[in-house]
Amino acid sequence: MNDTVLQAKGLTKYYGNSPAVDHLDLEIPRGCICGFVGRNGAGKTTAIKLMLGLLEPTAGSSSLLGCDSSALTPAIRQRIGYVAEGHRLFRWMTIGGLERFQRAFFPKQWDDKLFGDMMEYFDLPKRKKIKHLSNGQRAQVSLALALAPNPELLIMDDPTLGLDAAIRRQFLEGMIELIMRQGRTILFSSHILGDVERVSDRIVVIDKGVLRANCSLEQFQRAIRKVVLGFSGDVPGQVDIEGLLHCKRGDKQLELTLVGADDEKVAAFAKSIRAETYNVVTMSLEDQFIEFTAPANHKRLFQWEER
Amino acid sequence: MAVWIQILPGSDEPIYLQVVEQVSKAIAKGELASGDKLPAVRKLASELVINPNTVARAYTQLEQAGLVVTKTGSGTFVSDPKLRRSDAADINALAERIDTLITRALNLGIEAADLTKLFDSRLAKFAGQSDKRAGEK
Repeated sequence: MNDTVLQAKGLTKYYGNSPAVDHLDLEIPRGCICGFVGRNGAGKTTAIKLMLGLLEPTAGSSSLLGCDSSALTPAIRQRIGYVAEGHRLFRWMTIGGLERFQRAFFPKQWDDKLFGDMMEYFDLPKRKKIKHLSNGQRAQVSLALALAPNPELLIMDDPTLGLDAAIRRQFLEGMIELIMRQGRTILFSSHILGDVERVSDRIVVIDKGVLRANCSLEQFQRAIRKVVLGFSGDVPGQVDIEGLLHCKRGDKQLELTLVGADDEKVAAFAKSIRAETYNVVTMSLEDQFIEFTAPANHKRLFQWEER
Repeated sequence: MAVWIQILPGSDEPIYLQVVEQVSKAIAKGELASGDKLPAVRKLASELVINPNTVARAYTQLEQAGLVVTKTGSGTFVSDPKLRRSDAADINALAERIDTLITRALNLGIEAADLTKLFDSRLAKFAGQSDKRAGEK
């Protein structure tokens, strides 16, 4: 079952002169929950729409479940669930009407019981109209609509945006529930790194339309670390070590953020630049993400001047 | 399992290690005894709302540490403490961690006698388990 369910090759989309998605090469294996992260405007939504065939690429191609995104057949679409950003549902429909409408696209595998149970759990009567629901309730309907067809591949574009902690947790529970079934795969974008950390076992990072990482979450967390080197004399001016993301110079110390430097490399490097002490600091996923996507010469927003 | 595992996303400790540490502590305290069954991977994943692979990763780590054994088809069980071994390297690693604690204590100006007392009182919290082991010898 270790096949690829989502693939992109040189996938590119230009809006005017600037690329929103820039030569994206991506492969997602079956059976994982993949957190798709990137800053606002990084190209996540564009990438998702390209892969679903909702947008036409400027160059390159992509495929879902082995079928080219530009030619997804109804049979393939039945195996794919998609939750668009903002949970936009037809406002004039009732919940029950929307269920019947959606079920028609998934005639073989719609789980009436699951949908009904979820509505009952959320205390949402089916006769209620979408336009009379709160944002959170609309998200709950959208979650049920996503899970009821028991999709083989579920793609969700920032599904927990603006939701309260309890409803966010319901989405996470839904994802875990789905992934327990054999051979299911989930790709979801999010800005909440704690959610990504909780349910994902894979992470894809894009920045300014360019793929920056696609690996297991564990690898990502292990790879990015901070090393603080202490000096008794002058702090060296030039620092040259593989995988250097950022370098912050302090009084008698250097703070380096490194990608992929193992303990041995760090020790050898510390010795080579005559550091008296060095300390490897582990970082939270959020700190890792911020440092990983920050420009190389970034400064803090608020600089504290020493007097 | 009468053990409460708390997951804290956003900490600098990966989630699988949070599971490993809390289960290890429960075993050390005797809240989980030899032969107790750990919840199935999928059940714990669902309860904690974390990825099943993360739970599996934690169980593998616990198994490598010799704290649990997996019996194919029946589940994961807390191992027999008599079968757990520590070698010189383990003792060394432990000694280094104790050094870190002593350093911190001395930096705080805590006297040696008070530190010993503190150590004993903390150890007493794990006493159920250590008494049981002493009785087995």
